[in-house]
Amino acid sequence: MELFVGKILPYVTVAILLGGITWRIWRWMIGRIVHNITLAPFPSSWGAAVAWILWQIVSFWNIFKFDKPLWVGAWPMHVALVSIFGGHVLGIATLGSQFHLLLPWIVTEAQSEAASNALGTTFGLIFLVALLYLLYRRFAVEKVRVISAPSDYLHLLLLIVIVGVGDYMRLFHAVAVEYLAARDFMLGLILFHPGPMPVIHETGLMNWYFFVHFLAVQIMLIIFPFSKLMHPFGILWNRWIYNRPYPEPPMGMPGVKLKL
Amino acid sequence: MPKKIVKGQELSQPARASARVLKRLYVREVPDEHKPAEALKWLDYYRKDRRSLVMAMESCVKCGVCANECHAYLGTKDPNNIPAGRADLMRKVYKRYFTVQGRLFGNLVGAEEITMDTLEKWYSYYYQCTECRRCGHVCPFGIDTCEVTMAGREILWGIGMVPDLQGAASAAVYERGNQGNMTKQALIETHDFLSDEIEEERGLRMEFPVDKPNSDILYVPSSADYLLNPETLKGACQFFEYVGANWTISSHMTEAGNFGLLTEQHSVQRELVERLWRTVAELGIKKIVFGECGHGWRAWKMYTPSLTDYAIAGAGYDYHKRVPIVHVHDEVAAYVKLGKLKLNPRDNRLVPVGQSVTLHDPCNYCRACNLIQNLRVNLYASVPEVREMTPNGEKNFCCGGGSAVLYDDPEMFELRGKFSLKKVAQIKATEADILCAPCSICKAQFYGILHEYHHLDIPINGLIDFVGAALVFKGHRQI
Ligand code: HEM
Ligand code: SF4
Ligand code: SF4
Ligand code: SF4
Repeated sequence: MELFVGKILPYVTVAILLGGITWRIWRWMIGRIVHNITLAPFPSSWGAAVAWILWQIVSFWNIFKFDKPLWVGAWPMHVALVSIFGGHVLGIATLGSQFHLLLPWIVTEAQSEAASNALGTTFGLIFLVALLYLLYRRFAVEKVRVISAPSDYLHLLLLIVIVGVGDYMRLFHAVAVEYLAARDFMLGLILFHPGPMPVIHETGLMNWYFFVHFLAVQIMLIIFPFSKLMHPFGILWNRWIYNRPYPEPPMGMPGVKLKL
Repeated sequence: MPKKIVKGQELSQPARASARVLKRLYVREVPDEHKPAEALKWLDYYRKDRRSLVMAMESCVKCGVCANECHAYLGTKDPNNIPAGRADLMRKVYKRYFTVQGRLFGNLVGAEEITMDTLEKWYSYYYQCTECRRCGHVCPFGIDTCEVTMAGREILWGIGMVPDLQGAASAAVYERGNQGNMTKQALIETHDFLSDEIEEERGLRMEFPVDKPNSDILYVPSSADYLLNPETLKGACQFFEYVGANWTISSHMTEAGNFGLLTEQHSVQRELVERLWRTVAELGIKKIVFGECGHGWRAWKMYTPSLTDYAIAGAGYDYHKRVPIVHVHDEVAAYVKLGKLKLNPRDNRLVPVGQSVTLHDPCNYCRACNLIQNLRVNLYASVPEVREMTPNGEKNFCCGGGSAVLYDDPEMFELRGKFSLKKVAQIKATEADILCAPCSICKAQFYGILHEYHHLDIPINGLIDFVGAALVFKGHRQI
């Protein structure tokens, strides 16, 4: 079990994730953008179009304008998600000293680790609460319930499992996984020398919380390319069709007596 | 058309084109037992052809933002009229046959086999969408369900499921170059009648030239103007006469609309594009000015460049750039902005002093063609008082008749009424006396719905109507 999930599956997961994303985008690119079907107000240039797309991505502007109750859950959820993703990469790679490395003359290493822990816990809780809220909304709001498939709930439940277990490990120190243990494990995978999974300090036994967390994340990454989780890429490819400039013809009619 | 019952659910559907109409359209009706398989082949074709369709099929997260922004769902509360639900009618099939997750997990991810019931639902709900693109405007990802509706209608067309209204109009395009099936004789008679009217109102005579060789400007009115909107024709004529244009109307191509955009882009839409360029070559036209038609303007402005993709009448590469295609309101606004048209809003035959006008932004102008500000430039200069609707501009709601779902059969008419509930609430809130709707389909929808369904007795006019009536001619032409 540990051998498969901890030493073999991760390689399969990464292969499916990267291969799947590439394959899916390749499929999107088969179809042509046949006509210029940009949406008004037309951007005045490609620069303006790209700025608009980026603005939509960072602020979820359309959700904010047209569905505030969704924005209240979706935007914090995504900010927490991106922060946690960044935190996992940076925090584990630098053992929590990422802020020290960034601003060495202001932040000490100890302060950096404390900040890393505090931010991780905060975003972890925001993430969980926001996901529960989105799940509730999917059940409770009729317009969303009637367009939901079982998979729409399952995605949310999967994330809730990942975050729930992650938060549990953070809040209950007995089952916590230290940065060092996590780094050694990840480093082993990256260097193709997979080591054992982190253990529980006191007992020296396998940490099943970590096991579930790690497995659930891999399941998510495997379904990522084959589900709506592809939407961060989808937004780029879709808006590329609908937010683009259009060259207007000049005004003024030939041969008129009253000229412009 | 009697209601279809599919799995206990009643479906409202527009009346289908008869075999005779299909023949005039060169459409072969596929026998029912082969329809699903053939529709699937077409879906495969469109998903490989149009990125907009693939992206709509593959990037929706079912967030529900679009639901309360679609007038069709607001009016009917039918989940299949939620833009994401409408797209799902196709997406379920798409998932089942063209995605990994759909093949492996089926129902769990919302995938479904294609059957005749599926197609009956498509025929119902893809003709309840007005292709207004408000869903595209509000969706966080910019998913435009209009693209799904267009593909759905084209697939249905390909297997012979064509509404009588769209079918008859398209057959008339093949035969006469306009959707109203008007002859040249009928055009000329209407023109004479309108010239007489202008003479009575203005004391000076203006003619509508038809097929005049060596004209600089081709004016393309909507054929519906001849039946329903005479003031719109008169307004445009007065503008061209005022600026002293060498203009003409063509009897070969008298159609600013283009139902092909809405239901069949491969053959019907191209037919009018070809007619346009042939007319241009024949009459020596230097610029084409289009009249009031929302979807039509979208078809001509946004699609003609990419449909002029082969040499037409030896016209040559990039022909559409040498003979530009513009909208009459953009041209008028260019004059108004420079103060070159003398307009008197207080002496406007169509708007008595003390009355106010509200502007309905046709969806296809305001979301598909960027024609928002110029409408206002022209309206504010021509009438004494304007009352804006909220929301307006690119956020405006559709009239409920868009993409020519102008069906008269009772249950479809009832639906048109429901689709217009949001719009009518907006109009009433302005308390304006007159409604300005610069689009032929909007006008047709409002004539039917405001007066007969909502019993809101309010005059309806186009916008060039007001411009024409506000122009100040000095005894003779102003030049
Ligand atoms: C780029 C701009 C993005 C927008 C506009 C956006 C929008 C949304 C929306 C509207 C939802 C639906 C919430 C619900 O279920 O009710 C959602 C869910 C979700 N998004 Fe995003 N998202 C974006 C980027 C991302 C990114 C970068 C990720 C990270 C990989 C991500 C991951 C997720 C996840 C995991 C869910 C919840 C799963 C689900 O409901 O299926 N999103 N997003
Ligand atoms: S707003 Fe866009 S992503 Fe959300 S449900 Fe509608 S179509 Fe899907
Ligand atoms: S195009 Fe308009 S009518 Fe059609 S689904 Fe979108 S909002 Fe509704
Ligand atoms: S009929 Fe008018 S309001 Fe409605 S979709 Fe067309 S342009 Fe829109």
